[in-house]
Amino acid sequence: MPLKTQKRDTAEALTLEWILQTKHYKLALDKNLCVGCQICSLACPKEAIKLEKQPKVQGEKAKKAKVDVDLAKCIFCGICDITCPYGAVKVTLNGDHNLIVVEKESFPELIRDIKIDTRNCPKDCVACVEACPLEQLTISKVTYDGKPVENLDALSPSQRRHVVVNVDIPKDKCPTCRACEYKCPPGVIKMRKTFEGKIAIDQAKCPEGCQDCVDVCPITGTLTVADGKVQVNESTCVYCGACKVVCPVDEALMVKRTKVLHTPVHSGTWNKTLERITSPVDTVKELKAISGKKARDMVSKRFVSEEVIK
Amino acid sequence: MSQPQTPTPNAQPPKEDLRVGVFVCHCGLNIAGTVDIKQVTEYAKTIPDVVFVKENRYTCADPGQEEIRKAIKEQKLNRVVIAACSPRMHEPTFRRTVSEAGLNPFLYEMANIREFASWCHPNTPQEATERAKDAVRMAVAKARLMMPLQTIEVPVTNKALVIGGGIAGMNAALDLAEMGFKVYLLENTQSIGGHMAALDKTFPTLDCSICIEGPKMVDCGRHPNIQIFAYSDLVKVDGYIGNFKVKIRKNPRYVIPERCTGCGECRDVCPIEYPNDWDMNLGTRKAISVPFDQAVPLIYAIDKNYCIECFKCTDVCGARQAIDFEQKAEEVDIEVGAIIVSTGFDVYLPYDMPLLGYGKYPNVITSMEFERLILAAGPTGGKVIRQSDGKKPHSVAFIQCVGSRDKNKYPYCSNYCCMYTLKHVVQLKEKYKEDVEVYVFYMDMRTPGKGYEEFYDRARERGANFIRGRVSRIDEDPKTHNLILHSEDANLGQPIEVEAEMVVLATASIPKKGSDEIARILNLSRGADGFFMESHPKLEPMDAPTDGVFYAGACQGLKDIPFSVSQGSGAASRAATVISKPKWKIEPIISIVDETKCRNKTAKCGVCQDKCPYGAIRIEPNKAAQIITASCHGCGTCVAECPQHAITQMHFTDAQIMAQIRSALEDKPEEKILAILCNWCSYAGADLAGTSRFEYPPSVRAIRVMCSGRVDREFILEALRLGAGMVLIGACHLPYDCHYINGNYKMKARTDALKGMLTKLGMSPERFRVEYVSAAEGIHYAEVIKEIDADMKALGKEKIQAETAKLKPVLDNMLKRWKK
Repeated sequence: MPLKTQKRDTAEALTLEWILQTKHYKLALDKNLCVGCQICSLACPKEAIKLEKQPKVQGEKAKKAKVDVDLAKCIFCGICDITCPYGAVKVTLNGDHNLIVVEKESFPELIRDIKIDTRNCPKDCVACVEACPLEQLTISKVTYDGKPVENLDALSPSQRRHVVVNVDIPKDKCPTCRACEYKCPPGVIKMRKTFEGKIAIDQAKCPEGCQDCVDVCPITGTLTVADGKVQVNESTCVYCGACKVVCPVDEALMVKRTKVLHTPVHSGTWNKTLERITSPVDTVKELKAISGKKARDMVSKRFVSEEVIK
Repeated sequence: MSQPQTPTPNAQPPKEDLRVGVFVCHCGLNIAGTVDIKQVTEYAKTIPDVVFVKENRYTCADPGQEEIRKAIKEQKLNRVVIAACSPRMHEPTFRRTVSEAGLNPFLYEMANIREFASWCHPNTPQEATERAKDAVRMAVAKARLMMPLQTIEVPVTNKALVIGGGIAGMNAALDLAEMGFKVYLLENTQSIGGHMAALDKTFPTLDCSICIEGPKMVDCGRHPNIQIFAYSDLVKVDGYIGNFKVKIRKNPRYVIPERCTGCGECRDVCPIEYPNDWDMNLGTRKAISVPFDQAVPLIYAIDKNYCIECFKCTDVCGARQAIDFEQKAEEVDIEVGAIIVSTGFDVYLPYDMPLLGYGKYPNVITSMEFERLILAAGPTGGKVIRQSDGKKPHSVAFIQCVGSRDKNKYPYCSNYCCMYTLKHVVQLKEKYKEDVEVYVFYMDMRTPGKGYEEFYDRARERGANFIRGRVSRIDEDPKTHNLILHSEDANLGQPIEVEAEMVVLATASIPKKGSDEIARILNLSRGADGFFMESHPKLEPMDAPTDGVFYAGACQGLKDIPFSVSQGSGAASRAATVISKPKWKIEPIISIVDETKCRNKTAKCGVCQDKCPYGAIRIEPNKAAQIITASCHGCGTCVAECPQHAITQMHFTDAQIMAQIRSALEDKPEEKILAILCNWCSYAGADLAGTSRFEYPPSVRAIRVMCSGRVDREFILEALRLGAGMVLIGACHLPYDCHYINGNYKMKARTDALKGMLTKLGMSPERFRVEYVSAAEGIHYAEVIKEIDADMKALGKEKIQAETAKLKPVLDNMLKRWKK
């Protein structure tokens, strides 16, 4: 049987499928979550993902780039799924989201280092919800006996004191921009950025009145316009590169990723992916760090065993 | 290579009195039933130089041959003409006869009065007799100018190459290896085994396919005389019988064969799966894997289209260091004496038959896919399940002859589909008993084989419903994904509808993809159905038209396993007839250069070197062209191309062919079609027209040349000068059918220009025609002759004679140089 393959492209989603007798591979791209950044196209080991810049209509906001996956090249490995900062891609086998590349330790998972300690949460604060640019963060409140709270004001002061606040951040969809952390008054939320890097705008090279990057940036507040010039607020930037994709001038905007937070799995594929997402120099840095760590491990193991002998 | 002795170009026929003997064969009633033998013999006696005429009932039988020998000795004959069947049939037989009597075998000529007279003109005996007389006269005309030639001997490499490691190829290789010959087994996939390795059971005994084939595969892998080149392609074949030089490209596996132990640890760690085409894409394999567990040679391979280069396999392989991501394709040169082609077949996938819904409805599958489903080691573990819901079907419909016996697709019968469907029926019924209802839609149930009809009975006893009728359309119930088949029950004469949960299509088997490439490399011809053409359909079913190349298995025509095995062994013994000899004799029908005439001595020429399809001509500045005898295949293209007429093809000299043309057009030329036919395609096609008794007008007079590339411009001019009604050149089909690679192209270039010129001079364009007729197109040849004859009649004698009168002075002038 020649392989039964399917590709469907709707306004909501792009789906690719391999349908075999007993196995069903599926790649689904949620277009509402996708921001048109560079990461998946850089990460794909088969170069199956292409970004298509959308033509700009005069007087309208710039549109985010469209992601297209080549059915002939895609091998459903799920690396785009793993690396997508926004959790827009899902690769499944028979509906199961466990990826073989992760299971066989051929590719690490990204770490979204988010710590939430809601003990200090003011009971009526919604600053983090308002801060989340992707509207992913939700707060739920329950009474001490576990009943959901509908209206805080209806509770007695003692009940209010015992209300438990839960801050829910969907880990797979959070790009760790830290906007909520900055807005959170008592420091309930602590996160590390998954991608570290640099962003800079050479305002001199920006075309007059162009604010395409601002239009497509999914993290509101990272890029702003002041006096007709684009300003960068690097503290919330996730270095996804959506702005770089639409920037009409080559040297006006620079986005660089230097480090990716990931589980301690190393493979040829990861090294190559890392090289493409960051740079060869940064990859070498990571590899050196591993070898240093390996050496430390070896030494410590020896000490342990010598201690055991003693 | 040593230059065997050949006659010098200046050698003239020995200065002696010509004593021609003519032997006319009755061939029982095959010839005598139509042609008046008495008339032919009486006529032969009147031909000058003919001193002895004799008729025989069967000339090819022992008494007939004995008479020839006797006559040569007693009558001191020095030329022999045998008027009997096609030279493609018995020329070698009579050469032997003649040489046994002490006469050089190249001093005899055949006149074809069976295929070219009696068989193709049964209803016009008088015209057939006239044609036979002319054939005898033409043969005598050629015989007068014939020269004695010595056969050339070449050394033989006693090794063989088998192309294709399916069941036929493996048997051929094993047999040759057992005889003590070194065999190279070339396979383009990663494992030998072919289609049989993918089958579940074999009919009619229902024994497990891989259980009986596996040991043979292992034997091939272990035999000290067999070297397997798996995952390799045939790039180039040079040389000739006994001395083939073969170039093979080993595709990179990215695994070093010597170091791979076949443990499979790399496969276990590999994270990437992709559809396994060996499994009809029903299951998957890893990016580093073997197509199936019993693969021979058991060497893993990485598919770089899918590998993400995580190097987990390299890690786990460890100290064995078998994995090499930098591996490159490698070319290997080998020398062999004989080649066996056993490239097999492909299965047709009926995407272009939308009414059957294959590829559209998930529960419509082909028989090969069913085979993988019911196989215990298959992707579903032997469970027959539907793709749409993963459940076992309660009713299965089999449809026969999908694509086969279909004039719009593949007109031939695929031979084994009836049997494998019966096998599937028995397997299903024995596995699920009453739980499954089986329907078989068939046109005819063909079960001619040992134990096959009994197997049919067994299937019927299991309670399957056999419905005679062709399914016209399949619809799908979108909810249940069940299929509704619309057909006719031919026995009841009523339309019927059957709902089935699964449909299995017994699709046609088709020529292997890449057969055209193999045909081109080895100079093989293919029939209208695309399968390789054998030298003779009955007597040489394993011999290719190229000497030293043999066929085994389904590449020559579809056949089931027992037949493929027998043909594999047969091809092995045919190949052994070549490679067991220290020397092989080659016919001396080659080209030679007259050094005195060659222009290259004084000017830069080299036309012959450019035109030689085999690179057999060497040109050095200020020296006459030199022909490498052993590389010359004897097409004669260089002879026709040489601007100085300095090259001669032995046994097909300009003078001999001119004599034939003149002799053919001696009487009433304007009523005759002069046909010059190439030996391998058109002459064979014309033979087939005779053998098949396709009747056509008897006005044609045919001359045989080895290749249409031999047809000199002067032949055509001379024919028209003499007033031939029509001239036909018969060639092999473009682009690849030419037995001599591309002689037909060279003829085309030459004749295209000539035709333009002749038309301008006032010849009606339909009087000169080039036709491409393959050895399989007897009917086409008959049609062509009918057309030409009709054209000739339409033109009328007067017009042709008038044109001849007009053309003659110009042609006389053009031919003046040649006559010198």
